[in-house]
Amino acid sequence: MRTADLLQFNLRLLLRQRFRTLMSLLAMAVGVAAVLLLTGLGEGARQFVLNEFSLLGSDVLIMLPGRKETSGGIPPLTGEGTRDITLEDALALERLGSVQRVAPLIVGNAQTHVGGRSRELLTVGTSAVFFRLRELVVRQGQALPVIPLQRAEPVAVIGSNTRRELFGHQKALGAWLRIGDRRFRVIGILDDRGESLGLDLSDGILIPVAAAQQIFNTQGMFRVFLQIRPGSPMPQARNDIQALMQQRHGGERDVTLITQDALLGAFDDILQLLTLGVGAIAAISLLVAGILIMNITLISVSQRTREIGLLKALGASARTVRLLFISEALQLALVGSVLGAVTGYGLLALGHWFFPLLPFVVSIWALGAALGIAIATALVFAWLPASRAARMPPVLALQGLAR
Amino acid sequence: MRTADVLRLVTRALLTARLRSFLTILGIAVGIAAVSLLTTLGAGLQLYVLDNFSQFGSRIVAVNPGKTQTGGIGGLLSSTRPLSLDDADSLRSLPFVERVVPVVQGSGAIEFGRRVRHTDIIGGNGEMAAAWRFGIAQGHFLPVISGNSQPLAVLGSRVKRELFGDAGALGRFIRVGGERYRVVGVMASKGQMLGFDLDDIVYIPIDRALSLFNRPGLMEIDITYRAGSSAQQVAERIRQRLIQRHGVEDFSLTTQDEMLSSLNRILSLLTVAVGALGGISLLVGAIGIVTIMVTTVQERTAEIGLLRALGATRRQILLLFLSEALLLALAGGLFGLLLMALLLGVLALAIPALPISLSPFYLLLALLLAAVVGLLAGVSPAWRAAGLNPVDALQQE
Amino acid sequence: MIRLVDLSKTYQLGDQPVKALDQVDLAIEAGEYLSVMGPSGSGKSTLLNMIGLLDTPDSGRYFLAGREMNALNEEARAAERNRRIGFVFQAYHLLERLSARENIELPLVLAGMAPAERRPMVDQIIKRLDLDSRASHLPRQLSGGQRQRVAIARAVIRKPALLLADEPTGNLDSHSGAEVIALLEELNNQGITLLVVTHDPAIGQRAARRLRMEDGRIIDDSGATQPPSADSRHAHR
Ligand SMILES: Nc1ncnc2c1ncn2[C@@H]1O[C@H](COP(=O)(O)OP(=O)(O)O)[C@@H](O)[C@H]1O
Ligand SMILES: [Mg+2]
Repeated sequence: MRTADLLQFNLRLLLRQRFRTLMSLLAMAVGVAAVLLLTGLGEGARQFVLNEFSLLGSDVLIMLPGRKETSGGIPPLTGEGTRDITLEDALALERLGSVQRVAPLIVGNAQTHVGGRSRELLTVGTSAVFFRLRELVVRQGQALPVIPLQRAEPVAVIGSNTRRELFGHQKALGAWLRIGDRRFRVIGILDDRGESLGLDLSDGILIPVAAAQQIFNTQGMFRVFLQIRPGSPMPQARNDIQALMQQRHGGERDVTLITQDALLGAFDDILQLLTLGVGAIAAISLLVAGILIMNITLISVSQRTREIGLLKALGASARTVRLLFISEALQLALVGSVLGAVTGYGLLALGHWFFPLLPFVVSIWALGAALGIAIATALVFAWLPASRAARMPPVLALQGLAR
Repeated sequence: MRTADVLRLVTRALLTARLRSFLTILGIAVGIAAVSLLTTLGAGLQLYVLDNFSQFGSRIVAVNPGKTQTGGIGGLLSSTRPLSLDDADSLRSLPFVERVVPVVQGSGAIEFGRRVRHTDIIGGNGEMAAAWRFGIAQGHFLPVISGNSQPLAVLGSRVKRELFGDAGALGRFIRVGGERYRVVGVMASKGQMLGFDLDDIVYIPIDRALSLFNRPGLMEIDITYRAGSSAQQVAERIRQRLIQRHGVEDFSLTTQDEMLSSLNRILSLLTVAVGALGGISLLVGAIGIVTIMVTTVQERTAEIGLLRALGATRRQILLLFLSEALLLALAGGLFGLLLMALLLGVLALAIPALPISLSPFYLLLALLLAAVVGLLAGVSPAWRAAGLNPVDALQQE
Repeated sequence: MIRLVDLSKTYQLGDQPVKALDQVDLAIEAGEYLSVMGPSGSGKSTLLNMIGLLDTPDSGRYFLAGREMNALNEEARAAERNRRIGFVFQAYHLLERLSARENIELPLVLAGMAPAERRPMVDQIIKRLDLDSRASHLPRQLSGGQRQRVAIARAVIRKPALLLADEPTGNLDSHSGAEVIALLEELNNQGITLLVVTHDPAIGQRAARRLRMEDGRIIDDSGATQPPSADSRHAHR
């Protein structure tokens, strides 16, 4: 039989049994759409999270005070160790050959006053280097000045929300604000980048690290960010840093070094697993759709017993008869999958339109897997009924007696 | 018509088209198995997590410094208005307050002889073990004292094993962050909690921990209260007292009640969500029932006409076909539960740590769900059957 | 027992109206034996379906046992069919998946009768129609004549007052046909009112009263014969 004839033959049949055809298409389409929609959402969420948290380059190490024996567990996030990481430590690290930049960090909540207004704000004590590491953009004024780390210069850079909260419509640049019992002059306002996760700096305020030491009455750093010099290998740099800290801390290894990638890697793995998981759960519905197609092919075979007899009497081989039924199922699966794919991606696009933060991702592997599973199930499930038709003895079939 | 007769007629019809019925049932079964398996796993996880969190008791209110709790780490950050030990002490006089535990946590080296272990150090007071419901395996917990403390330490079971092996630890001297401490107790093993090893901790007096970490303020104050008052009432009294001391509200309060219930909400939502994902398969299974039932009604048109001629009412025809759909779905439900049990068994063998909680309520719910699916899927074809004109129907071949 | 007054029914065939029944007037006494003959499409089946409450007229009135039937709703008509009317079709209309016995039992099942109550009734009718050896067979294991006997047993199991047969011998050879007609006539002798639609003049002639239809009208009615004996009427009430 020529393919064109086969297609037309099937099309006639499918149009005759309109309801059944429609339902099979619906079943397939629901399955494929579900797989694509869910993997698309999962993949989108993954990319969203990675974008949102990837504030530091892969060449930046984060140093935390304290260390725990068991590696692979939760790092000592509290920021408290028996020995502080001091500003002197930071300065010494800066002189290491494999380290390009060092940004010390003290983070706290501080009551901030402007005129009559008072707010508790996320206050970050750091240096000019931090701006470069996190690629912060200053919309107005300037970043923290490049000054020796020990100098508690009374200047502050504020986030855009902070500006609104504290100053309202008044001019903020050059104005004075008070944190605790110290006064700071606003020298810059951060661009509103809408970073929502991690530390939200648009609600924060940045001051020199030495000033933060004074207002929080603390010596040790909460974190230290270290950017590795281009060209120097990461393991080497790690060793250098650990060795230096050990030497400075009386021979004890009491700091933890992590990369953002290591932190995000765990996240990434979890989200990828999650995406795969929901995709697989959705794919179960494709299996159910396959079962339905098998059932419908069976019914089609039993209802068309006489026709099979006739075709055989007209000289159709067992192969042709099998091909007839399998191609019918395949046609259903194909059209259903395409409908499902269009619907799935349509819904994703719609979702992206409503929530632009969620990236619209067309993952080729998911599309391939969905279509592949759909067609494979149709093939596998149609095989049995089609073979049953192919085996029918022509005489019995003609009398409608074959089963 | 008698129920037994309806059942007999319907089962006969289903058994006649055996393969067709089986495939339809299989479709529903896969859907029900997916839904029930996923919700069972979800519910198990929920129970596991809640158990983990409620092991500390539920009558706890926590105070952290800072009004805004950035990403839940507010207690870790520095503060211009730290919570002090005096703040903690001031709460003791409040009505219904049972225990007040100031907390600070960090990490450092613990040494015994030549052995060193870097691990978590928690500063607390003598009431901490009772407040957190931690058991003591040997010796006793930190003493309840007022004023300056002695250099005493209590070891988590893991720390004890790593430093002392099988030898006794009580009365021995260890170094915590370089300072000498005497071991007065060893905790009973608590295991892991969400990736955090509760046995790999050393407990020392809070004032010593603060100076060890060179930290001006507490990370948290945990308050337990007696029965007879609500979390809200106790929290409100704490709020008043601290505002009175600080002038402004520069701290935040979390009640364990609230925490548990919001956690419970989130996890329930998650369970429902994964259940709904499984529901997609059930939807496709339902499409299967509709398709097969419509085909069945088509094929059995003449039979419907005959039954009408024999005096069957429309209601009876509706009942017969609805029962057929219902029976298919229920069989699918039962088969699905069987399938789920099988998969759960395999899962439990493969991952013994998996928290699985099977509740008969949810199993019944799964069957009910199957029944609802059957009814919904069956209603339109059955309606079609009941609406057939008997004269026309009789003429169908 | 039956009175049709001015009964009409029009079907729409494509966009052409077809008068299947055209102002039919007919009165039938209890216990009568009627045959209905006429060319294909003359409205014989439609008449039977009307009398059997399977179809509803467009206009006119229908009294069964003195009660106006057009006033009944569908549920009440179904109940009437179950209690008072038995049908026999050319195509037998047996449920292929049920045994002969179960097929015969169906009207009782639909009426909600308890198994203990219906068993003796089914036993009795099976015995009477000589179906003992075939009771547990499926329809496809039976010959045409046997199948029609099962169908007749099913039609009379509730002891209806009225038996309607639409070309009951149409699918049978002459021998089986004659047997079926003999059975129907025997039932009539026991008091049941019998209406047989047939193409076979030989069968048609056997009826005491013969109707002839054309284009939805009764063009010839041999007239009511002697009223049936009172005692035989009692037996089937
Ligand atoms: N359901 C129907 N729809 C349309 N036309 C019908 C229907 N039933 C019967 N007819 C028409 O009504 C007329 C009478 O039919 P019928 O009573 O079956 O004739 P008979 O049994 O005498 O052969 C015919 O012309 C037939 O085509
Ligand atoms: Mg006819």
